[in-house]
Amino acid sequence: MAGSEGVECAVPMAPPEPSATAIFYRNLAWLRFVDRFGRKGSHIVEYVGGLSQLVGQALAGCVSRPFYSSEVLHQMDELGVKSLSITGITAFVTGGVLALQTAYSLEAFGGKTFIGRIVSLSLVRELGPILTALMVAGRVGSGITAEIGSMTVTEQVDALRAMAISPVRRLVVPRLLAIVLMMPVLTAIADVLGILGGLGIAVLEIRMTFQDYFTSILQQLQISDICSGLSKTFFFGFEIAAIGCYNGLQVEGGATAVGRATTRTVVLASICILISDFLLTKLFLAI
Amino acid sequence: MSAAAPATDRLPAALPRGETIVEFRNVWKRYSGRDVLAGVNLQIRRGEVLCILGPSGTGKSVALRHINGLTHPDDGDVLVFGESVVGLSEEELSPVRRRVAMLFQGGALFDSMSVEENIAFPVREHTPKAEDEVAAIVAEKLTLVGLPGIQKKMPSELSGGMRKRVALARSIALEPEIILYDEPTTGLDPVSSEKIAQLIVDVNERLRTTSVVVTHDIVTARTVSDRVVFLHQGRFQFVGTFEEAARDGHPVLMDYFRAMGFPCGTGVFRAIPKGE
Repeated sequence: MAGSEGVECAVPMAPPEPSATAIFYRNLAWLRFVDRFGRKGSHIVEYVGGLSQLVGQALAGCVSRPFYSSEVLHQMDELGVKSLSITGITAFVTGGVLALQTAYSLEAFGGKTFIGRIVSLSLVRELGPILTALMVAGRVGSGITAEIGSMTVTEQVDALRAMAISPVRRLVVPRLLAIVLMMPVLTAIADVLGILGGLGIAVLEIRMTFQDYFTSILQQLQISDICSGLSKTFFFGFEIAAIGCYNGLQVEGGATAVGRATTRTVVLASICILISDFLLTKLFLAI
Repeated sequence: MSAAAPATDRLPAALPRGETIVEFRNVWKRYSGRDVLAGVNLQIRRGEVLCILGPSGTGKSVALRHINGLTHPDDGDVLVFGESVVGLSEEELSPVRRRVAMLFQGGALFDSMSVEENIAFPVREHTPKAEDEVAAIVAEKLTLVGLPGIQKKMPSELSGGMRKRVALARSIALEPEIILYDEPTTGLDPVSSEKIAQLIVDVNERLRTTSVVVTHDIVTARTVSDRVVFLHQGRFQFVGTFEEAARDGHPVLMDYFRAMGFPCGTGVFRAIPKGE
């Protein structure tokens, strides 16, 4: 009997009914979440729509008059040639590190002779384009947003419009063309410098000969590898320029807004480059 | 937002010369849930200098930007040279914008270009003139604004007043029919403000343009205006000459005048029904 009494005592009590106030606040929290989620979603849709519209206008501007060819050349120098140092150093050091890591990893298997192949293939197919694009996104994408953003907040963009000059044709198209044209050049130079970086390590640290290193490269590297690597860079350049210009034109406010837009450009361009690299790699491997 | 026309718009006492060149017809503009322009009506006549007065943040610049299509109304119509500019695309607005210049509050000179390149920019864009002709235009306009020989300077080397005068030289480079001035004397010392105000009058007379000046500076308004309009709570509460405004304007406008040390009459503001 004592046991049955114990069982009776152990019957759990039904939880108390939540008060109307608690239900209200719980639902309010959900509503706030849905509201925030909805706002974020609508901002993303709005952003993508605006960016697509700008890209459409810029593409139309690329194939119709007026052309600002001297401005394109100026931007190729500003955005392209002046990025050579950062992209070149990055590739050179990466090539050296890659050679060191490969030698260290494959030493046990006698794989030192593969260093040239691995360095060149990694750089030409993947690391050269992606590292160059990320460096350009950091240097050039942020610079474009800061410049156009400053022009927007100081009414220079409105001044262009008031003078019946299209900001898209004058500001966006030259930058877009300059980056798209310069990205393959920067990447090709980065590839060469990366291979030379690997060569330096291979000769000085691993005691390979020049001939062994380059023979190893020529045995493996195909024209298709170079083409697939360089082809990606057109897309990367396009993404950097489009995002950089759009964020600059959308700036509202003052210096703080320009800073925020600049950060947004670097983050967004980097993410887009990484995602599109994956998709393009899949595409090129399938072809 | 109702479609009713404002009851307080007031017809000018003395009609200035010339035909109507710009017309606001029941224009509404809303920002962040507030009616910045609440059904405004206004006619601007060829050859006059019209000042839009009003406290900061009342939408004076917004009204100005409707004239060259930098801003479009939510409702109503804006006619420039007899044609509506509402709903036009940027390309469709080009012919109007070539005839309507605008001087921005900070000058909006292009930082990367020299003074000469700034002034020559619209000329090179819109005319096939040879370089020596362009150089002559630049020199002429710089002389007109009282800054001859500074062609090679960069905007960063100029003072605030000089920047505005160079910006004015750029605005008049294509010899526009209408010039829009957005706070032309804001941030300048009284002497520079007076110079700019005098320059507005000179340019208007020499080039036979129509000028619309947005300002909250009563001294500038007195110097330059043929007529003033007072924008308050989304409506043009007063339209008339400067003297009429000082004598018998809107109560807020009278406070404005007194704060600036201007003698004002004690006339009571009368809302005059539209069409009277």
